[in-house]
Amino acid sequence: MATDARRENISWIQGVRRAGIAPAFGFLLVALLLLWLAVNLVQTPSDFVSVALEGITLGLVYGLIALGYSLVYGILELINFAHGDVFMLGSWISFSFAANRIGLDAGSSGFTVIWGLGLTLLVAMVFCGLLNVTIERLAYRPLRNAPRLAPLITAIGMSFILQDVGLNRLGPAPVSVPNILPTGAVFTIGGHEYRWSSLIVALTTFPILFLLMWLVQKTRQGKAMRATAQDQEAAAMMGINVNRTISFTFLIAGSLAGVAGLLYALYSTNIRYDQGFQLGLIAFTAAVLGGIGNLPGAVLGAILIGLIQQFNEGLSWHAPSSQWTQSIVFAILILILVFRPEGLLGERTPEGG
Amino acid sequence: MTELPEYRRPWWHRWTGLFGAPRRRWRALDDRQRWQAGLVLRAVLVVVLLVIAWPLGALVAILMAAQYLDPYIPNEHAWARRAVVPTIIAIVAITYPFYNESLGEMRLFGAFPDVNTAVIMGVYVIMAIGLNIVVGYAGLLDLGYVAFYAMGAYTCAWLASVQFAGQDIRIGAVGVGGTTPGIHISIWVILLVAGLLTALIGILIGLPTLRLRGDYLAIVTLGFGEILPQVANNGDNLAGVNLTNGPNGITPIDAPGFFGVNFQQGSGSFFTGPRLYFWFVLPLVMITVFCSLRLRDSRLGRAWIAIREDETAAAAMGVPLMRTKTWAYATGAFFGGVAGAYFASFKSSTFPNDFNFNISAFILSMVILGGMGNVWGVMFGAAFLAYLNQEGLANIGHSLNQTFGTHLEVPLYQFGIYGAIIVLTMLIRPEGLIPSARRRAEFHEGVADTPLYDARHDTA
Amino acid sequence: MSRSPFLAALIGLTAVLALLAAGCGGGGGGGGGGDAKALPASSCSDIYYQGDGNPDAIIASDLPLQGSGRSQTVQMGEAIKFVLKQHNFKAGDLNIGYQSCDDATAQEGAWASEKCSANAQAYAQNTSVIGVIGTFNSGCAEIIIPVLNRAPDGPVAMISPANTYVGLTHGGPGTAAGEPGKYYPSGKRNYIRIVAADDFQGAADALHTQQLGLKKIYILNDKQAYGLGVATDYRNSLNKLGIKSVGFSAWNSKASSYTGLATQIKQSGADAVFIGGLVCENGGKLVKDLVSVLGKDVTLIAPDGFTPISAVVDGAGDAAEGMYVSVAGQPNEKLGAKGKQFVKDFGATQSSGQVDPYAAYAAQSAEVLLTAIEKSDGSRADVAAQLLKTKVTDGILGSFTIDANGDTNSNPVTVYQIKGGKQTTYKTITPPQDLVKG
Repeated sequence: MATDARRENISWIQGVRRAGIAPAFGFLLVALLLLWLAVNLVQTPSDFVSVALEGITLGLVYGLIALGYSLVYGILELINFAHGDVFMLGSWISFSFAANRIGLDAGSSGFTVIWGLGLTLLVAMVFCGLLNVTIERLAYRPLRNAPRLAPLITAIGMSFILQDVGLNRLGPAPVSVPNILPTGAVFTIGGHEYRWSSLIVALTTFPILFLLMWLVQKTRQGKAMRATAQDQEAAAMMGINVNRTISFTFLIAGSLAGVAGLLYALYSTNIRYDQGFQLGLIAFTAAVLGGIGNLPGAVLGAILIGLIQQFNEGLSWHAPSSQWTQSIVFAILILILVFRPEGLLGERTPEGG
Repeated sequence: MTELPEYRRPWWHRWTGLFGAPRRRWRALDDRQRWQAGLVLRAVLVVVLLVIAWPLGALVAILMAAQYLDPYIPNEHAWARRAVVPTIIAIVAITYPFYNESLGEMRLFGAFPDVNTAVIMGVYVIMAIGLNIVVGYAGLLDLGYVAFYAMGAYTCAWLASVQFAGQDIRIGAVGVGGTTPGIHISIWVILLVAGLLTALIGILIGLPTLRLRGDYLAIVTLGFGEILPQVANNGDNLAGVNLTNGPNGITPIDAPGFFGVNFQQGSGSFFTGPRLYFWFVLPLVMITVFCSLRLRDSRLGRAWIAIREDETAAAAMGVPLMRTKTWAYATGAFFGGVAGAYFASFKSSTFPNDFNFNISAFILSMVILGGMGNVWGVMFGAAFLAYLNQEGLANIGHSLNQTFGTHLEVPLYQFGIYGAIIVLTMLIRPEGLIPSARRRAEFHEGVADTPLYDARHDTA
Repeated sequence: MSRSPFLAALIGLTAVLALLAAGCGGGGGGGGGGDAKALPASSCSDIYYQGDGNPDAIIASDLPLQGSGRSQTVQMGEAIKFVLKQHNFKAGDLNIGYQSCDDATAQEGAWASEKCSANAQAYAQNTSVIGVIGTFNSGCAEIIIPVLNRAPDGPVAMISPANTYVGLTHGGPGTAAGEPGKYYPSGKRNYIRIVAADDFQGAADALHTQQLGLKKIYILNDKQAYGLGVATDYRNSLNKLGIKSVGFSAWNSKASSYTGLATQIKQSGADAVFIGGLVCENGGKLVKDLVSVLGKDVTLIAPDGFTPISAVVDGAGDAAEGMYVSVAGQPNEKLGAKGKQFVKDFGATQSSGQVDPYAAYAAQSAEVLLTAIEKSDGSRADVAAQLLKTKVTDGILGSFTIDANGDTNSNPVTVYQIKGGKQTTYKTITPPQDLVKG
């Protein structure tokens, strides 16, 4: 847009006019948002920082789920509605395994906690990964050539089935997970305690993101994934086993959901059977915000959404407050999809709109 | 997989081939064998229904046998051939309140649905037909249909309750006390107004979003379906205005009236309240079906089918994409609004908690089960699933518990059952139970072709 | 081409169907005395009747039998059965059967308006139903009362052991326009309750707050009918006592984390938080986050939406320690002689030995309803009229009278405190009328 203007040597006003009203509107919104944040920062700096930190942590949890959505969408162009519920089952299996099988609770020693959590992480990843692969095999693969809507509808059905399993296992009310991490603060910033659970979330998410990016960019399997995402038939002609690649992608996405489930259980200490649906939608919004199919974009979008959520609820100067949070998140989703469907980091494709 | 020679098939192929086997064998039959097989299947269906409840089996048998009346209808009354089945169904439906209590019990499903449940089934049928126009005819996946239901319900609530107690407008309302404040307009007028208003909302929602691709459109409509109920819940203080009374909902809502008889009170033991509601939902259903059929066979309907099958080709043929899609959306919204308004009047209340994504998915599953694009299939799917939801599942649980002594709580599995219905339908018979031939061809085109890369490679 | 076969077939078909319709018409319905028609099995249990012959009439209870409060509501049903059995299933000349109906769905684990409305229609249309004990949630009552009020054969009597929303029986601050008249379209009252309404509970909580010496209260609500109502009443009473409320906002029950909200509360400098809502709206997580951000010194006060206390302890764990929960009514140990006898006898029939306070209220409701049936002439309208004239002397809940609005004149509110994961009675407050009304 603006670059075109420079190349053509027209004034910036003409450039803006050519680009249209939508980007100008978008910039205006963003500017207002930043202004509102700045006012709040000036008025209550310590609260702002604590709310921002919480927002980032929450955003990182969303990011792990969003990565799974992005991976699957990139390769199959399918919005896997069931992904959020795989995440919920990951929370459940982590809780069930850690609390009931190993017997971790608030009184366990540090060494037990580390070993126990590591084991639980492994169990959650394997369980969710295999679950995701099975779902793909049973529900999505037979519909690979069907019209676009068919696997989408099947995904909704699958989501319902998984939610029902969760409802039967967890009950309709939230279940409290014992707090096995030390309750003190890691460090304190301006009166706000940065908890161990937040640290673990941050310490886990970033390495996973980098690991995933390495996997996709540098390994052979990753190349196969990228090739299949670009063009399935051409990839098959090049000798890539497309079915196996897709299954592998679902395995990775499922494992990510499992990790997210465990982290969520640790961070929020309350799990419920419909958290998958709620957080799945938020994570999908985040993936779209960052650019669907783009891995760092998914995490960036997720962090932004987490920040927006926490700012909405935590700041006091003209904040809409938590009764509007859901509407705001969905409104963002709708605005992004309507005005900039390729997201922040994505590339505009001809059918992107 | 079975196209590979024997020595190259993996050891587990027999098990995975099971899903594909029936379809392959069906395709291998010739026409006469297929007719015989169809006859056997139909007989099995009638027997099963007879076992469950003899009236059901008898009805289905009569409907199947009705086609044999065709030769006896002279050609100058050829239209009557198509009218036999609908006439029978109409008679059975209209007289239902008279005999439904003496029908006895169904095995497994418990008592036949009572008149209240029948009204709810009717309302869901209207909503499903509306969604069928959007999803089935035009192929636009709409996951936020509950927003239209909510809009219709709240319109009815605004125009037929004490919500706006400062006003005192009374147009044709029956059975409302003289001193009751608020706006009270005749429900029949409100149905129309609600439909039109909801259609307007549908157009407003559709304008920016309908140019999106299918799956993005689904998510956006889901978003609207979540935003509207939250606005309703927070609506008691929208910049100081109490629009929706927030979580307390708007209750009570006036009932419709006809010749001075208010539907909530009824009149005597013949025209009881629920019967009146039921007898008036039937014409609404019939009008909806009529509109749907006429739309399908109109130029607009053909345009919808064209964009459903291939948007690019349709655009190349001169079909105005945005306008056609918006019409589909608006029409679907209209019927959703009418159904929502009638339902709100029937329940005499509307709460923001009534509206959530599950209802959108529920109506979608009705459309899928019945057959996307086929009005009769959708009617059957809607009636059946609505019955299951209201009474059927609880009754099934009750029967199972009594027979086997278990303590199953079948409503706890409701999500799973609907999810399984959706998944199984999409996997095995995506065109639905009673499909149109065109739809069946659409869904199975290309599915039977062996994709290039299903062939096994020895290298990774 | 002869037209007779076509016409004959069509006429024959129509005749057959018309005969079926006419001949089978009008069936069903109760026959002579002793044949009460049961409510549908999809919502209600089988008829509980162990008397002689067959029941003439049915009383139904409408309670949410799923979700976290299940233990409470199931026990309430058992208490009604206990009382009915004590009366030998008779009220006056009528044999009374009982059906327990559910207004909750499994998914929500709480009451659902569809079920409330379907149940209401069932009660209204079934002329054997002579009285309804319910509901537990005020939102459900808002749906059921008008339908029962307009039922054929006169308004159907309804008595609630637990509804606290003010607008159901009388107007005032915190109620919407047109309440309570809009729930009684026929003009006649048919609904009473034996617990104090939320204006009393709000006043009691405000007095409790004052007695604790708290100065700055932040008020939260769950944006549902009950929570918003009780929070508004609490704020009004606080204002009358001259205590400042530094904030009034809602919490989003679907959120994963309330630290943002808690930070906002901390910013306002509140030393106590009033949590007006139901515990099943993610109340446990809210309590956890409030305590983690505001520290253990913050005082948390909640109304009876946060019962059963076991659900709060399950949901919030250690964070709930020291929290105050107020419940309209007396604790079991403060009941009169008859009440204590009931607790003892009924507790003996329960496997856990524990008697939830609401069970006593359900039992008293059953007693009141049976007395009204006895005093009436057996018709639905008259039972409702008698219900409004209830005057209990030395009942399970002591002595009280029901006024013309359907409210009780005995309005104690008990404040419990959570200590060691268990509920302990802290004190009982009966707020003065001028604080509530004035």
